[in-house]
Amino acid sequence: MRMDSAVADRLTAIVLFLIGLASTWGGFVMDRLEIRQIHPASIPGLVPMILGFALMICAGALAWSARTPRGDAAANPNTSASAFAVTLVWSALYALVAVGNMPFAIATMIYVAGFTLWFLWAENGQRPDPIKIILVVVFSIAIAIGISVLFRDGFLVRLP
Amino acid sequence: MMDGLTQFFGAIGELTTPMSLFHVAWATLLGIIVGSLPGLTATMGVALLTTLTYSLDRDAAILSLICMYVGAIYGGSRSAILLNIPGTPASAATSLDGYPLARQGKAAYAMGLATAGSALGTLVGILLLVMIAPPLAEIALDFGSFEFFWLAVFGIVISGQLTGGISPLKGYIAGILGLMIAMIGSDGIHAHIRFTMGFDTLNGGIGLIPAMVGAFGFAEILTVMWQPKGAMIEEKKGHDRTLPRLLDLWRYKFTIVRSGIIGTLVGIIPGVGEDIGAWSSYAAAKKFSPERGKFGKGSTEGLTAAETGNSAVVPGSLIPALTLAVPGSASAAVLIAALFIHGVRPGPMIMLEAPEFVYLIAAMLLFATIAILIYGLTLTRFFILVLKIPREWLMPVIFVLCVIGPYALTQRIFEIWVMFGFGFFGFLLRQMNYPMAPLVLGIILGDLLDKSLRRGLTLSDGQIEPFLTRPISAVFAAIVVLSIVSGLPPVRRATSRLITRTTGGGPD
Repeated sequence: MRMDSAVADRLTAIVLFLIGLASTWGGFVMDRLEIRQIHPASIPGLVPMILGFALMICAGALAWSARTPRGDAAANPNTSASAFAVTLVWSALYALVAVGNMPFAIATMIYVAGFTLWFLWAENGQRPDPIKIILVVVFSIAIAIGISVLFRDGFLVRLP
Repeated sequence: MMDGLTQFFGAIGELTTPMSLFHVAWATLLGIIVGSLPGLTATMGVALLTTLTYSLDRDAAILSLICMYVGAIYGGSRSAILLNIPGTPASAATSLDGYPLARQGKAAYAMGLATAGSALGTLVGILLLVMIAPPLAEIALDFGSFEFFWLAVFGIVISGQLTGGISPLKGYIAGILGLMIAMIGSDGIHAHIRFTMGFDTLNGGIGLIPAMVGAFGFAEILTVMWQPKGAMIEEKKGHDRTLPRLLDLWRYKFTIVRSGIIGTLVGIIPGVGEDIGAWSSYAAAKKFSPERGKFGKGSTEGLTAAETGNSAVVPGSLIPALTLAVPGSASAAVLIAALFIHGVRPGPMIMLEAPEFVYLIAAMLLFATIAILIYGLTLTRFFILVLKIPREWLMPVIFVLCVIGPYALTQRIFEIWVMFGFGFFGFLLRQMNYPMAPLVLGIILGDLLDKSLRRGLTLSDGQIEPFLTRPISAVFAAIVVLSIVSGLPPVRRATSRLITRTTGGGPD
């Protein structure tokens, strides 16, 4: 299924409607700060209620516009779902797991080297030659040290 | 007027120091490289560079960011001409005629023409910036809560309308989602905490820089890796010249001026951006050109119009950014955030608090223009080499900067999570044809809309009449209603039928 298909739009419309409903309800039950004697027109939940209502209308319109299929269900054969998945998972491991739990420079070196080697390997369908591997490792070390030094010593950032 | 000119020349003098010229040189070159590489956009470049310029002084930081912005918009033409893949969305119209020219063996000449077009477009925009910004700021001094509310609504509606593609609905949805994100955290009037779900880290709201680095940086990386690689046209040596003929430029003088004005005006419209500027200029040039048959097949006039149009948006987008604190483009949104970081408060008060700053920005744009002219006409071969950097070497480095940049601002791991979340959902939304500009504009304008509506209602004791009867509010309200009504499918179909009947045929 393509992400810009009518089916995807219908599913998105449901999600958006629920978000709109949640925002409207959240705004409605939000503290109206009567204890502070604020003007009733300035309650904090007013705009979330309006936005939630507007989103529900838009979700309805989206579902209505996507009621008939557009004949575009075939996926684009040129896109690479595997390259996307590898990028997403590897980047998530680096950003959400490694950074903060191990020294930044080491995490960065592993991430850059892993990313580059994987795509060199995946693209050619064979292992990159040893010289290329050494080149990638030197490149990743240089990037890791360069960025770490720039932020730590140049911008005085306490690295994660 | 004379006072303005004096301040402008004074700003040029102020910037003519070795250190400023050094910043112009590296930032513009970096901008052109960022813009040249497919997948790296001007907004991403400006957002990442913002994180690298925290420690610079105000003028040096803003100068670097503006040079990056101008350079990246111009740099996008390189890959549009050589790869038929726009380096930035702003160069999509450039590829229509630039790529056919490259296939005819005129790649270097096309790039030279694009350089001249970009430089002239920016110059037209600078002129209009200097002329329009001060009076607009004066008008904005009359704005109250009612007008600011409508200004925020106007920004979201127009941005959604013009960037939403075939139907503005997805643009509106993106804008509303942006406004909702802005509701998270402490509200601007009573400091009441909203929608944090018990997480104290959300009390301050969602930071613009992590959100933008995610939506424009990480989402771009995912898109680049998802899409197939482009094949580059090999340049034919000895067949081509880089310097555009003055005669060509003179022949297209009306196209250049028209495209410059259109680009600047598109830039002034909140959240619309360079791509719309280029397409509008291209469409207008095609309509008025005696050579309209050549458009799309290697027209030098089409290429000039597209490049002049997208570059003129840069100064244009800074007009509302400086005078109303409402960005004219996504990159200008990051620039506003950068201005706040460096202690400049854009908005109606700028002409009272720092009137020289508008002219300083104009002078910075001029320096960036001179730099792209020099680089564009002398480093053509170097930029062709830049395009050959493989994505598997470049993308991990960009992602590392996407991670460490937002973290550096507050030194909280939470910002990395925000960046990642916005990147992933930004990618999904893009694949579903939701534009990013209204989303970003919503995050920026959310606070203004929220505070203005509630303050206005408090002032009017809950009455909505002042929102509709005050002159400026009434104009904004009318435009908003007309825009929404004109975007409704039955109205669009009726308008299209009417146009077809009036012109007596379909489009050419």
